[in-house]
Amino acid sequence: MTIQKRIAIYGKGGIGKSSTASNVAAACADEGYKVMIIGCDPKSDSSITLLGGKRIPTILDLLRDGVDVKEEDVIHEGYKGVKCVEVGGPEPGIGCAGRGIIVAIQTLKKISKSLNEMDLIIYDVPGDIVCGGFVAPIRKGLVKEAYVLTSGEYMPLYAANNICRGLAKINTPLSGIICNSRSVSREEEIVTKFASEIGSELMAFIPKEQIVQDCERDGFSVMEKAPDSNVAKVYRKLAQAIMERDSSVMPEALDDERLRELTK
Amino acid sequence: MDNKNISIIHPRPSSIVAALYTLRDLNVDVAILHGPPGCSFKHARLLEEDGIHVVTTALDESGFVFGGHRELVNVLHKVNDMFHPKLIGVVGTCASMIIGEEMREPVMEANLDVPVIEVEVHAGYRNNTKGVLFALESALDAGIIDREEFSRQQHLLEEATNVELRHGAASKEYLAPSRGDVKYKVAQRIIELLKEGKRGITIMNAKKETGYMFADITVAVNEIAEQLGKADNIINMSNTDVGLGLPRVRHHAECIMNDFEEKGIPIHEIIGGLDEYPVAGATIDKLIEEKYSDYDFAVITGVPHAIPMDHLSDMEIISVTNGPRQVLPLKELGHEHVLVEIDLHPKTLGVNHIVESEFGATLREVAKESI
Ligand code: SF4
Repeated sequence: MTIQKRIAIYGKGGIGKSSTASNVAAACADEGYKVMIIGCDPKSDSSITLLGGKRIPTILDLLRDGVDVKEEDVIHEGYKGVKCVEVGGPEPGIGCAGRGIIVAIQTLKKISKSLNEMDLIIYDVPGDIVCGGFVAPIRKGLVKEAYVLTSGEYMPLYAANNICRGLAKINTPLSGIICNSRSVSREEEIVTKFASEIGSELMAFIPKEQIVQDCERDGFSVMEKAPDSNVAKVYRKLAQAIMERDSSVMPEALDDERLRELTK
Repeated sequence: MDNKNISIIHPRPSSIVAALYTLRDLNVDVAILHGPPGCSFKHARLLEEDGIHVVTTALDESGFVFGGHRELVNVLHKVNDMFHPKLIGVVGTCASMIIGEEMREPVMEANLDVPVIEVEVHAGYRNNTKGVLFALESALDAGIIDREEFSRQQHLLEEATNVELRHGAASKEYLAPSRGDVKYKVAQRIIELLKEGKRGITIMNAKKETGYMFADITVAVNEIAEQLGKADNIINMSNTDVGLGLPRVRHHAECIMNDFEEKGIPIHEIIGGLDEYPVAGATIDKLIEEKYSDYDFAVITGVPHAIPMDHLSDMEIISVTNGPRQVLPLKELGHEHVLVEIDLHPKTLGVNHIVESEFGATLREVAKESI
């Protein structure tokens, strides 16, 4: 029996967490693993490319409607049996998304038996760690390892560094850094260096290719729509690396000055 | 957290509740608590006794996540239909404020032809007078009170906070509640003093509606003095100026003064309005210095810790409070006898006549036996 992997992917908003998470999920499903992806972003598009572009009802939508939520209402099977869950959340600017995550995670824990049957559970968590609600998956004991996604630009690295500070605070080890390239100069070198300086390493360098966007627009993962592409190979390798990964560290965040130097 | 930085570890009155009471003094007919159904339950019930309706938008888990705009609009419509109020208050709570609820928009959307005072307040303030201040600011914005009254209230609030910090419930890290001295013994002592021909002052420095019960102690002391033929030995002071304060507070002063008159109790010195208990101390001190410095004892009721000891220190002081945490600070100030009227507040809400106090009743009983 394989040990169950429960990971979370953190990173600055808009850096490509959802497409990375769904492609990793698809790649693992290709290998025959039982995979679940839990999208914690109010936009709820972590799983859309695994479901052929279809949106599923979110846990919070159902809770808002006062539905007595059952497992089958919120867990939907997508590409190669990947189980998809969306937490959902309020409209921007009203209510409290952090509280929403807490409530949804508690609900999911209560209603779902299949959480235990998975080989891999991926939490696609929103943006930065901005409040207690956003770390609920970790605090509630559902996440064991964290990955941080970044590019070589200053702002995403700044966010990544901040997240590392947050992870250390909540005692969650970092399993690795993933670079989602924005094609800036010396990008791989910068991110590799960043990874090693915080005590971790670079797991994958995902090149910026139009095909990722194209597949997403059509409502599919790269793994499903363009399995032979170059970038699909990268995802496959990353997925394998994640499944095999058995070491992690408590990251040591850099100070701001060092971070700026690094990206100069 | 660093242990030394914790300045408060016992719960205190909440700003939300303070805002509710202020809305009541502004004579709102309905107060809507925007938040969890259980928030401020006990005070909500008490205020209902006092003749205003207190309702809640009853935000639940889903409300905390998605906000409670809709709920508030609905409740506004509902209370308008049900109670036909002339003035409505909406009060925030921790829950709605933490998630950043906006209260103005739902009020605009509900579009009632009744003025609405919204108070954005939660319970996380060290000085609960913040709740009062926020309510008054909103009332000012809504044109319910004028700038002059607002400034006056603001000043009183600052002083009330200072009083609490100096010698009140906020003066120490922790104050254990206490019932104070035995009322029976103290009653005997007062009778003894009067029998000996000693001269005394009663000072009622009460906070708003609590005056209905503290006034009874003034009445009881005068009754006993009268029975002993020593009525002239007593000077009465009370903060019942009928021309000062928010509408409801002025009304209370009128009611109490009417009762004093009916019972034939002369009030020699009016020391301020029923909301001026934090500042009346200076007036009292000056009066004593000028006219009564040779009196033998003083019976101080209401907020005794707001009165300076400068010209009282030679007198035997009997003070009566309704704060069980006030006993120790008063003893430390040098008050010989400190009594607590338990459950005073519930008994003085919704009334318009003087209410019998436990100490007043004790005095009357002891007098029956010993006179
Ligand atoms: S925590 Fe705040 S909102 Fe909740 S019940 Fe207490 S006072 Fe009300």
